[in-house]
Amino acid sequence: MTLSDLHALLPQLILALGATGILMVGAWWPSRAPWVLTGVALSFCAAISAGIVLPTVTEVGGMFGVTPYARFFTILWSILTGLTLLLSLRYAKVHRFAGAEYTALVLFAGAGMSLLSAASSLVGLFLGLETFTLVLYILIAFNRGEAIGAEAGLKYLVMGAVATGFLAFGIALIYASSGSFHLPEAMHGLQIDGQMRPLGLLGWAMLLVAIGFKVSLVPFHLWTPDVYQGAPAPVTGLLATGAKGAMFAALIPLFAALGTLTLELNAVLAALAMLSMVGGTLAALPQRNLKRMLAYSSVVHMGYLLLGLMSGGPDGQRAVIFYLIVYGIATLGAFGVITSFAQADGEPQDYETFRGLGYRHPRRCSALSAFLLSLAGIPPLAGFFGKFGIFHAALKSNHHLLALVGILAALVSVSYYLRPIIVLFMQERPAQRLRPGCTHEFAVLTVCFSLVLYLGLYPGPLLELISQILPSP
Amino acid sequence: MIVPLEHVLYLSAILFLLGLGCVLARRNLIMILIGVEIMLNAVGLTLVGASAFWQQIDGQIMVVFLMAMTSAEVSISLAMVVYLNRRKGTVDVRAFDELRG
Repeated sequence: MTLSDLHALLPQLILALGATGILMVGAWWPSRAPWVLTGVALSFCAAISAGIVLPTVTEVGGMFGVTPYARFFTILWSILTGLTLLLSLRYAKVHRFAGAEYTALVLFAGAGMSLLSAASSLVGLFLGLETFTLVLYILIAFNRGEAIGAEAGLKYLVMGAVATGFLAFGIALIYASSGSFHLPEAMHGLQIDGQMRPLGLLGWAMLLVAIGFKVSLVPFHLWTPDVYQGAPAPVTGLLATGAKGAMFAALIPLFAALGTLTLELNAVLAALAMLSMVGGTLAALPQRNLKRMLAYSSVVHMGYLLLGLMSGGPDGQRAVIFYLIVYGIATLGAFGVITSFAQADGEPQDYETFRGLGYRHPRRCSALSAFLLSLAGIPPLAGFFGKFGIFHAALKSNHHLLALVGILAALVSVSYYLRPIIVLFMQERPAQRLRPGCTHEFAVLTVCFSLVLYLGLYPGPLLELISQILPSP
Repeated sequence: MIVPLEHVLYLSAILFLLGLGCVLARRNLIMILIGVEIMLNAVGLTLVGASAFWQQIDGQIMVVFLMAMTSAEVSISLAMVVYLNRRKGTVDVRAFDELRG
């Protein structure tokens, strides 16, 4: 590892070493708000350094790429980390989180996500993924006052550990079939006339199981609703946006490296996408709990993303990245609103507690409605262009049936997204006041809200930027 | 390489399935974690075998990474076991079934 390698990894080093420093100094100087704010500053520093400092190498240690693509996602996840920490400021105080530890863990998660998105070899993929999975085990059960947090942590731990086993075994089999971890070379084991082909395909099957667990595709989604419900709302936001998004960001180059060897995999992927879209929709319809509804609807969104990924080509990749960003902003916003309503005795989750709340807290409830409508894909908001791009790419690459199922799922999704909005605004009954909220939370929500609106009206600039950073085929 | 790659792969597949069976069948959290450890050790064996087959060092380096990751995972999971035990007085996973819907 040379100086130029370290220079190229500067944003990740800022996050990881900053977190280590906070953890060490925090042991002697326990405090809360100063540490969380330091974490916010560090993550924005990482984002800025990823944007400004130009790397002199294109790959570090044969594991992590330093391409514009990787840099783009590093900036994205660093900003996400910063926003999550800003959002948690009051939440951490109300629930008496240990400030230094919480900040350090969220920063480690940010470093892991940006490493995963930058992975150019299977080793890098494994290390990046495990970095933030291990952190999430702790963060999900971080709220020691709440019993459901412990249960959610247990479920994520068991599922995550099994998924790790599958991931590692898949990687080991792909290595055994090809003799390389580095991405384009690792696909040699899948050559049509290769002797090692069955081994490589088995490895890929294992890898798909692990990916299915991590991004919660049906039938590997069983942990999702429980973990979403039990984890602290800001952590759920991070899990729903960053952890899944980083996985998809790593999958795009992985599938691009597969090239034309995806024929067998396509049937499996099509089945996973179809099951996720149908199963997620059916499970989301009867939900009466906002966090669980968002969990099942995230399964549907992962189905759309998989569909875009299968479509492949620059169009499909651009649609997936755009969708990821739009979905991430709206989801972070929705969990941000839940966070801002949270009190010491818990978060409002049941639709019952939201009844008539729109008249008590009009600004936050309007923002929540906007995020939900964007997730549903209602035209003036950003979600519409995201869905349009995915289905357009799917139709262009002849996935007609899947695109049709996706469009139907999107139509049905309006019903389960509208239900909480109706509860918020239509039924006038004096709801009890919840937390008044504070400035940092409003700042984060304003950022998310304006982005949802702006990207819905002017998606052009972001699409242009994404086209420029796409990995070369 | 004296032992053929096939034999290594068969052995590690058996180990992996044994570990998976342990995870699925046992209801004690500590036994589940031991099952996961067996699965990860099967992975290590595969990597070492493949590394010897291809005459490369990469696989062995990955095993070192894997061991480091496993030890981190074990320390977190054992902390979790202590925490859950303090909460409910048991490490039986069936006791944790409050989240439904």
